Parts: sequence; structure tokens; C-alpha cells
Amino acid sequence: MSEAPPSMAANPAGRSAPAPRRTSRPSSLWAFRGALSRRMQAAVGVGTSLLLLLAWEAAARAGLVNSTFLPSPVAVLNAMLLMVQKQNLLWHAGVSTLRVWTAFALAAAMAVPVGILMSSYRVVGAALEPIIDFIRYLPVPALVPLSIIWFGVGESTKLYLLWLGTFFQLVLLVADDMRRVPQEYVEIAYTLGARTPQVLRDVAFRAMLPGLVDNLRITLGWCWTYLIIAEIVAADSGIGFVIWTARRYMKTPEVMAGVVVIGIIGLVTDQLLRAAHRRAFRYL
Amino acid sequence: MTEPYLAFDGVTKRFGALDVVGQPFDLTVARNEFIVFLGPSGCGKTTLMRMVGGLDTPTGGDIRLEGVPVGGPDHRRGMVFQSYSSFPWLTVAENVLFGMRYRTDLTEQQKRARRDHYLDLVGLYEFSDAYPNKVSGGMRQRVAIARTLAAGSEVLLMDEPFGALDAQRREKLQVELRGIQRRDTKTVVFVTHDVEEAVFLADRVIVFSKRPARLVADIDVTAQLGAERPLELRDSPEFFRLRNAVLKLLREAAGDDE
Repeated sequence: MSEAPPSMAANPAGRSAPAPRRTSRPSSLWAFRGALSRRMQAAVGVGTSLLLLLAWEAAARAGLVNSTFLPSPVAVLNAMLLMVQKQNLLWHAGVSTLRVWTAFALAAAMAVPVGILMSSYRVVGAALEPIIDFIRYLPVPALVPLSIIWFGVGESTKLYLLWLGTFFQLVLLVADDMRRVPQEYVEIAYTLGARTPQVLRDVAFRAMLPGLVDNLRITLGWCWTYLIIAEIVAADSGIGFVIWTARRYMKTPEVMAGVVVIGIIGLVTDQLLRAAHRRAFRYL
Repeated sequence: MTEPYLAFDGVTKRFGALDVVGQPFDLTVARNEFIVFLGPSGCGKTTLMRMVGGLDTPTGGDIRLEGVPVGGPDHRRGMVFQSYSSFPWLTVAENVLFGMRYRTDLTEQQKRARRDHYLDLVGLYEFSDAYPNKVSGGMRQRVAIARTLAAGSEVLLMDEPFGALDAQRREKLQVELRGIQRRDTKTVVFVTHDVEEAVFLADRVIVFSKRPARLVADIDVTAQLGAERPLELRDSPEFFRLRNAVLKLLREAAGDDE
């Protein structure tokens, strides 16, 4: 501790300043926690995906893998096109999307108010948290038999299973979003003469909204992951049904085509929701 | 004897087993007085100020505004916090307008006129349409001050409002705040642990001990420095002398266990 490092030393006017040291070079892709332009990010994302597809295609063509287990991307694409023409794949995709969105909307419509109440009133949180935590850890597939007993094998069982996988996760995330709203915002509103319902609506809800929308987007993705489980149960429609049927005849390209359709729907939905988020919350 | 404007009468505060204000606290504040609560961090001065705002309730004693015990919060006693002081989803102008959102006695036209008046007062008119994340920390604090004034607060409660600002912005805002308080004639209760800030701003500095908060000194700054506080005052020997005296008091009050 004898001397300050040169960069810390006083630099009286008149003397020439040493060149400022750069901590990050914008040109480098590998600067730790560095910046990357949005265009570059998109390019890297698309490039990596294409590279993977090419490697996969090459491996399949070279006969490195058994095509029954891993058909080439081209074979999967061909299967997909054929399924669109012959098996109404798009209709099945529509049915699945509708199921996911219906169950998700139900889950969200219930989780948002419950989650908000859990954080707004400690007593509600204390009452519900143990139950929710318990159910949250139950694997959805384990509840299939029970939901068949309760709801039969119709549409409601499928919605119930999707809801089950979403609601209990979402409710805790919503509660967290609400908990993170700075107390200052709430107190400012009170000292401006707001009453509790107004504080909730005009300030607390508004403050949590960006986080809430993000969590809705994320849980929508989780909801899709339960689709197969929901559509295995005596279904005659939906992508899950298509995949399960194809599996029975070992039609691997068709199985993969079904999986890829889910992935594409997920990717597109997620990007759209992200764009909407950026647009709606410009102030962030 | 006439009723003082703002009175703390035997106020004590406990949070569970924690004595925040142990000895009954008494203080009277005149209308339009600028009071600064100065004390070590965590001493309980903020709690006393929050009780004026109705955000905490005294365990014992009461706080009266014009003779009436203060209840829950309302727009007559406005808060300005150090951080999260303005709403990020509203523009600068919308933030100021929000101050009057729950005032049913004002017409929309009156609200807009007041919004523009106070935006102008704090020098933010040209930033009306900017979101808070696009303006400086000092401007965000001005937004909060304008919002509180527009709401019609008679007592401004300020909790280290300039604590997160750099030295230059802080000085500038101190001069401005003092000017606004004098022109707009507001009563201010301002909490800080910065001695210079306290002496520069206050009509009276109240020095607190470490927790549980106890009144150590009540210093009449205006009697010694006058009511006008230009920036140059900071360089005067009188200011230095008073600052050093207060600093000494604060050191003794804080004890030496840190």
C-alpha cells in the first residue's frame, strides 16, 4: 500500500494523459461478458443450427448411423411434407396448439390472481405455499391414472394434465414477481392518496408486468412439454397422437417430423412473444 | 400556547423486541421549516420520518399535524425516496401527473396545468416525454420532487433523496431544493447521514444518537447562517465552523464501536 497505481494517480492539467486503457474491445467475440449486436446474434444462432443440420445430414449419408434410429434431416423433411399432405399434420398441429393455449390460458387466469394474493397477503402465501410446493414436485405422468379416473379419457383430461403442469409452476413465479415489486413504489402510491386496490392495479401490477409476461412466455414453453403425455391418453388427434402412432410402426422420420413441428411452433411463438415484450416495455 | 404545525409528542417505536426509538421523542416543527434528521445509519431517524408520512405507526405517543394526529398516508405528506423514486413505466410528465391521480378535487385541466408548472419548476419541461431510464439520476429525483409537489404535499418527507448521486449533482440539487422550499413554502423533513448536506439545507438540524434513537442536539442553523443558501456558502468559514461542530456532535453520538 505504498503507492497508488499509475492509473489512479492525480493527473494535473497540462500534462499529457496516458492513453485510456480499454477494458473491453468491441471487436472481439470472446470478450468476457462482452457485447454482441442483435444482427450478429441472429447470424450466429442460424449458423450454428445450420451447421448442426449439415453435420447430421452428412453423418446420415455417410452411413455412420442406422437410419432407423436417426434418419437424415432431408428424410425427416420429406416425411413432414408427406404428413402435411396425407395425414393432416397441420390440422393436428392446430388441435395441439389450441389445447396448449386453452390449458395455458386457464392456468394463467388462475395463477395470476392467486400468485398476486399470495405475495400481497402473507396469510394467503402461508396457507398455499406448502400445498403448491408439494404438488409442483409431483411428476405429471404419475397423475395420468388419477386424472383418467376423474375426467375420463376425453378432452378435459388432456386439458387437466396440461394445466397441472403449468399452474403450480406459474403461481409461484407470479408470487415472486409480485414480491419483487419495490416497496418504494407501493409507499409512493399510498402517500399520493391511493387505496389498496388502486395501489395493486395502478402500481404493483404495472411494476410486475414485464416480469410476469416473461414468466408467462417461459411457462407456455413448459406447457408444450406436457403435450405428448396429455395426447397419449386415448387421443385421436394432435401432434402427440401423430408421434405416438408413428412410433408404433417404427416410422422414425415421422416421429422426428412431429417433434420438429413442436420445436418450430415453440421457436416461432417464443420469438413473437419476445418481440411483443420488447415493444410493450420500451421503457426497460 | 398555540398548537405547533407539526409535533412529535412522546413518540416511541418498537419493532418486536427491537427498540428503534426508546426514549419518548418530542419535537415541534414550525410551518415552512426545513428540518434535517441527522444520525448514524440505522439509528431510527428514518422510522421517525416515516411515521410522519403514516407509513409506520408509533408504539407510544403521537404525531400531530396542525393539532390532528396523523393517521394513514395521504397526499398532504409526500415521500421522496433515494431509489425507485419514480415509476419507470411512465414518462417524466406522466410521473408528475400521477401525483394527482387520486385527487378528485382537481379537474383534468387543472391537473395538466399543475403538471406543467412543476415540470417547469424543476427544469424538466423539455424532458417531459422521456422515460426515467433515459434521464440522469438527478433528474429522476427532480421528477419525484415535482410529483410530490404537484400532488399538493404540504410536508415533504425525504429519505436520503440525493444519497445515490455524484457530488456535483448532489450540490446542485441541494441548492435547487432549498430554493423550491423557500419559494413554494413547504415544510420539509429530510433524512441524511451527510453532515454537509444537513448543515447546507436545514433551518434546524436534529442530531440523533445511534439506535435506539435519542435526540442529541437541536441546532438552529438559520440563526447562524441565515435563510439564504447560495452555493458559495459552502466555502465560508461560518459554514465550516458549524459543519465541524455538528460533525463532532455526530461522532460523539455515534459512539466509537464501529
